[in-house]
Amino acid sequence: MSIFKSMNITSSALTSQRLRMDVISSNIANIDTTRAKQVDGEWEPYRRKTVTLSANEGRFANFLNKAMGKNDVGNGVQVTKINEDTETPFKLVYDPTHPDANEDGYVEMPNVDLLKEMVDLISATRSYEANITVFNANKAMLTKALEIGK
Amino acid sequence: MAINSISLLNPTQITNQTNKLTVQPTPYEAQQNFASFLNEAIQSVNNQQIQSDVLTQKLINGEDVDLHEVMIASQKASITLNATMEVRNKMIDAYQEIMRMSI
Repeated sequence: MSIFKSMNITSSALTSQRLRMDVISSNIANIDTTRAKQVDGEWEPYRRKTVTLSANEGRFANFLNKAMGKNDVGNGVQVTKINEDTETPFKLVYDPTHPDANEDGYVEMPNVDLLKEMVDLISATRSYEANITVFNANKAMLTKALEIGK
Repeated sequence: MAINSISLLNPTQITNQTNKLTVQPTPYEAQQNFASFLNEAIQSVNNQQIQSDVLTQKLINGEDVDLHEVMIASQKASITLNATMEVRNKMIDAYQEIMRMSI
């Protein structure tokens, strides 16, 4: 129903921000994980994960509307990919007693930066709140519309 | 999501228009049309309520459903129900206006 289009768009944004929050939770939870996956028999530490968001305009109805010259706002936002951060190198910590230490006594720790994660966390929380505000404003508009003619 | 019809006038509307030009609907037919319209509208309101119930049930059963989706479904149900109440109030007003007519 078209009166709920805005609500559906807000819903997609909330879902995306929830997923982003899940990814940040995973990053912070695995900040000390030295055994995330095995590569050639060797344990590799956890890699920082990030999400890629994109506008959701890939439905047939959207393309049809555009081709017919009608305005189309799309279906909101979606998470297209969860990327692994392969750019940032792992942190090396000297700890010879660690079971995953190499011959020189250094341990590879995940490339998760707690400060970055905290900034992302606040960003995700604020985006979620902003979308809730949009939803409430939209609901207030619909409720006001029902008062027409009272 | 429903795909919008390509032509502004769909075939049924065109036939309805030609019918209107030739024959006026009898009061019985008009009542039938109104009844079916009302029935469909209430059906769609009911569907929103059912959708909201299903999502709430899923949430309390611990299934994979987001909290905000449940809240949004319940708000949609609430708004459609309020819209129905407005239409009902208007209809009852109109009915009472007619009944108050002095003959």
